[in-house]
Amino acid sequence: MSGNNLVLPIVLWGRTAPTHCISSLLVMDDFSTIITGCHDGQICLWDMTPELEICPRAMLFGHTASITCLSKASACSDKQYIVSASESGEMCLWDVNDGRCIEFTKLACAHIGIQYYQFTIGTQREGRLLCNGHYPEILVVDATSLEVLYSLVSKISPDWISSMSIIRSHRTQEDTVVAVSVTGILKVWIITPEVSRMQDLDPVFEEESKPIYCQGCQSISFCTFTQSSLLVVCSKYWRVFDAGDYSLLCSVSNDNDQSWTGGEFIAADKVIIWTEDGCSYIYKLPASCLPASEHFRSDVGKTKEGSIPPLVYRIADRSDKQLLICPPVTRFFFSRREPFHKLLIQGDSAGRMSLWSIPDTSPLQPQSTSVSFTISLQEAFDKLTPVSSGIIDQLSVLPGKDEPIKVTASVYIPSQGRLVCGREDGSIILVPATQTAIVQLLQGEHMLRRGWPPHRTLRGHRNKVTCVLYPYQVSPRYDQRSLVSGGVDFSVIVWDIFTGEMKHIFCVHGGEITQLIVPPENCSTRVQHCVCSVASDHSVGLLSLRERKCIMLASRHLFPIQVIKWRPADDYLVVGCSDGSVYVWQMDTGENQRTIKEGNLPKYSHNALVVQAMKTNLTDPDMHVLFFDVEAVIIQLLTEEAQRPNPMLVSPETLQKSQAGADKGGSLLAHKIFKQVKETMKETIKEHLLDEDEDEEEEMRRREEKSKSLSLLEYNLTMDTAKLFMSCLHAWGLNEQLDTICLERLGMLRPHCPISFGLISRGGHMSLMLPTFKESLLRQLSLATGRKLSLSDIVGKGTYGVSRAVTTHHLLSVISLANTLMGMTNATFVGEHMKKAPARPPRPGGTPETPRRTPAAPPQPSNPALQAQIKQGNYKRRETLTCSLVLVVFLTVCVKRVCVCVVVIVCAGWSQLAAMHCVMLPDLLGLDKFRPPLLEMLARRWQDRCLEVREAAQALLLAELRRIGQSGRKETIDLWAPYLPQYVDTVSSRKYHNFVC
Amino acid sequence: MLNPQRSLSELPKTSTASQVERVVLEEEFNWLLKEEVHAVLKQLQDVLKEASRRFSMPTPGFENQLKQENFILGSSTSMDQVKGVLTLQGEVLTQADINLKVAKSSQVLHFQFREDKQWKLQQIQDARNHVNQALQLLSSRDESYHFKSGAEVNKLMDGVMLQLTRARNRLTTPASMTLPELAASGLMKMFSPPIPGDVMVNFYINLSKLCLTVYQLHVLPPNTTKNFKPAGSSVLHSPGAMFELNNNRFEVSHVHKVECVVPWLSDTLVFFTISLQLCQQLKDKISVFSSFWNYRPF
Repeated sequence: MSGNNLVLPIVLWGRTAPTHCISSLLVMDDFSTIITGCHDGQICLWDMTPELEICPRAMLFGHTASITCLSKASACSDKQYIVSASESGEMCLWDVNDGRCIEFTKLACAHIGIQYYQFTIGTQREGRLLCNGHYPEILVVDATSLEVLYSLVSKISPDWISSMSIIRSHRTQEDTVVAVSVTGILKVWIITPEVSRMQDLDPVFEEESKPIYCQGCQSISFCTFTQSSLLVVCSKYWRVFDAGDYSLLCSVSNDNDQSWTGGEFIAADKVIIWTEDGCSYIYKLPASCLPASEHFRSDVGKTKEGSIPPLVYRIADRSDKQLLICPPVTRFFFSRREPFHKLLIQGDSAGRMSLWSIPDTSPLQPQSTSVSFTISLQEAFDKLTPVSSGIIDQLSVLPGKDEPIKVTASVYIPSQGRLVCGREDGSIILVPATQTAIVQLLQGEHMLRRGWPPHRTLRGHRNKVTCVLYPYQVSPRYDQRSLVSGGVDFSVIVWDIFTGEMKHIFCVHGGEITQLIVPPENCSTRVQHCVCSVASDHSVGLLSLRERKCIMLASRHLFPIQVIKWRPADDYLVVGCSDGSVYVWQMDTGENQRTIKEGNLPKYSHNALVVQAMKTNLTDPDMHVLFFDVEAVIIQLLTEEAQRPNPMLVSPETLQKSQAGADKGGSLLAHKIFKQVKETMKETIKEHLLDEDEDEEEEMRRREEKSKSLSLLEYNLTMDTAKLFMSCLHAWGLNEQLDTICLERLGMLRPHCPISFGLISRGGHMSLMLPTFKESLLRQLSLATGRKLSLSDIVGKGTYGVSRAVTTHHLLSVISLANTLMGMTNATFVGEHMKKAPARPPRPGGTPETPRRTPAAPPQPSNPALQAQIKQGNYKRRETLTCSLVLVVFLTVCVKRVCVCVVVIVCAGWSQLAAMHCVMLPDLLGLDKFRPPLLEMLARRWQDRCLEVREAAQALLLAELRRIGQSGRKETIDLWAPYLPQYVDTVSSRKYHNFVC
Repeated sequence: MLNPQRSLSELPKTSTASQVERVVLEEEFNWLLKEEVHAVLKQLQDVLKEASRRFSMPTPGFENQLKQENFILGSSTSMDQVKGVLTLQGEVLTQADINLKVAKSSQVLHFQFREDKQWKLQQIQDARNHVNQALQLLSSRDESYHFKSGAEVNKLMDGVMLQLTRARNRLTTPASMTLPELAASGLMKMFSPPIPGDVMVNFYINLSKLCLTVYQLHVLPPNTTKNFKPAGSSVLHSPGAMFELNNNRFEVSHVHKVECVVPWLSDTLVFFTISLQLCQQLKDKISVFSSFWNYRPF
């Protein structure tokens, strides 16, 4: 999943919203987006309407620790960038529109506050980020490259900076940075244009250092109304200072046991202060603090505390706050444009956002104002119709219950295309991944079948399954039948994945199993057949799958185990605990034969589809992200095409000849095989339609028996993946005729509702659309088009209006895939060939191919000889090839008459589809619903290593250049010209310029 | 250890907690939240206050002035080539007195801090600040506070443990620097008489030890045949490490490391370890009930 590959994620969130314990929040200047960071490291983007309704749109992944602060990182409104910092020192620059990560870096120290600062040198404007944190300076960081430029340093008693504020001066070019250190010393730095231009790491020393005795300072803010006072909020009191000479104007201590966490000026004479438990208070400042008053500074130098200023407003906290697990985050923001909201925003540990619009006119009596709008992530999920789907919801809703059983652990086996899902009731479901994803995402006849697709249930754990491992996937030294699972019932169970049998149950731990790990290759042979299990009682065990016993149990660690490392050469197991301590254990193997493996394993090539389970918090159920690697899909399609018998061979003449010649031989056999395959398939389907979730033993046994036949339901993984992918990407509803062809001839399916896509950007950072994105998209588009739209109006095409980067990725994928499919014979997703993969060559590693087939004996072997032939076919490639060739021959005979015309229609269908996405989309959608692709992203793929992607990028780039016209092309050139090397002489470059335009 | 061979049929009998058990569990859990948590928090606070106090010991008699302590640095390996007496006041080195015996000339170099200069040990300041932050987190949850869920306690403990781990790590892992960084650190300009150009010094804390490293350098002639490879960043560079500074190439010829245990730092490290264990034990107690409260909305 490197940045270079074209990988598209599709996410199935499920009904439970991810945990979002808010640690920091930010409102963008235009008041259209709120950004929240959480303790688990994710960032959530919320759309806000002018009526102050908010709706979560996307979640950004990439930070590994709690988000400590957020700040805007660009000044202009057409480029909305934010910067986020985490507890582990990471800093990340994001594009708010599509959640792309623009830049990222990691420092040794953590920031706790970042402020954006823009300065001007001549005509050039540059953005800087001032950062304070667990270090004794203020670091000045470039807002686009995230490089540290220089630092603001203290000469006198340097210490950590608790809080800072930038005071912009309108009179001079000098801006002031005012900060309070943890020891309560006020520091002042002057930033002059000369300082800003400084590029070397010379420190800038403070202008002034004055103890103001404000320990535990929470916030410092400058009064933008009067330009002459500062508000400093500490946990036990808040104070107002003169911004000129920093003398104390008034001090107010809190009388109850709550502690203040921040505050802001909301008018020249009013401040709002909020507490740790989420209450906010508005105070009217005494006359001594108001520069307009004659009593200004009248109290300076007096030791006595002034009278407590009158409380104007009290903003009530909510009643359900007892559910919170940590103090909420409160912030105050001004809107700088109509309707000039004064907005108090609070985000809490339950992922809830609450907004209060503070009225300008205030009554004299203290009173409470009610919340303007409040919503939590979970509420937003609950409001959705249809509900946000989870990957196996159709198999998990028990009769008579609303909520599906939650998936708590999962693993995807790419070689078999199967997803293994452990659930909270202790059962484990094995299901074909593409099939179940199709059920969740797309409409089709499968909607009529209950319990579709055929699946297998493993029952053994008595409570939540916490981890699942398929060791064969990591190393072929393990039995390919073994599946290992761990649960909260302290047990580790070994299953036979093909029969569904429980092979062994290990009960060696005294706590919930938290991790299952495969030891590395070069361990001793005994350890090589073990899996390593880690439990919440801080113990780690080596469980031998072959001997069916625990060969080592290392316990008595004082802290939870975080990481396991191996020193196979010394027979050591190294345990890293959460407090940083490390324990080294001898694996005690008895026999000390080390095996040195010769040659490398066939490295896993890219899989067309990878299903990754994710959770933002350990307590959450799994959500599943389907990663489609476009290049891998294309390669697999082409490989299968190449393995398919040459179409020349199956031309009508050859067919007739072969049929005539081998009437008694091959084709008869093929006929029989085919018939049998078909019958078993029917049977399986029939059986699974009746599938009920009963707990009786007999039922289980019956199921186990029939699940043997389940394996016979073979489906073509590659074509299925392509079907799912193309159906999700196609812009439905723009061309009725094309849609009909897609549905009937090409076998694509229409999605139920707009699909939550994701966007992978630099360094593995990822943005995933929340299922609620469609609500805000709908609202946005309805506003743009001026008419009410329904959900079905934006199915499929809605994502082309999200952002330019998303459009680029989607168009590239859909066009390159359509082109690939166009070049294939019979590339349609309808018909029998979807059920059976063409024969594949054995893997280079020499492992027995097609694990699915091995136990796949038909239940009623009517003809033993025939069966033997099938079995043989499994192991000998040539025979399999002949076999499938005969099958294809047979199939072709059946559809001989319609064959030629179908192929033409299919081909034309793909070509039409590609053409629509390449050229017609901007016209069909209209520019208000279409964000054009990014030229630079297309240009970067001009020489992509995958020919199909390259061709798609070139076609798209040309189409886009044509669309933007001469003026657009000129703009593009002007935009990029400064970045071009200067060695071209001006005359020829002007010529070139004219030529390009 | 439980018997792994135990048959399946025995397991379900012990699986689901009965109604009575649940009631008892709930009572026990409530006791934990109401009583035990506060007892542990109190204990934690006491330990951490003690740790925090170590960072700001006042001078007897002058309560508003931090205590000054002298440390004589020595080493078991280097043959008394470097002797140092350092004066530590809280987190600040107020005086350093270094004697360096140059090997070849048997000449003794002596230098000390200039009158107007002090050197702050950032590691100590960071550790102190982290402890104070942990204390601040704890102080907001005094006995009158009613914890409503185990998750809330866990969250608080996570916050406290993060600060404590940081504090400990700051003392146990000194910053690793490159030699040019060290040369530019300002430490070289602190001394009187000025340190000669072929000597560099560094101060840091490693666990509870105050360390002084002295590097003796020699200039590599420009036409040397030796492969020049600049050394990366390290806490302690070894002889042979090379670097470039102001167009001159240097090689470290001798490294002398002397150290001395600061007793109050070893106290604080012990306090950190004790508090971390207290935190984890509380978390473990909560986690016993985790499967129990999983069934409840929170």
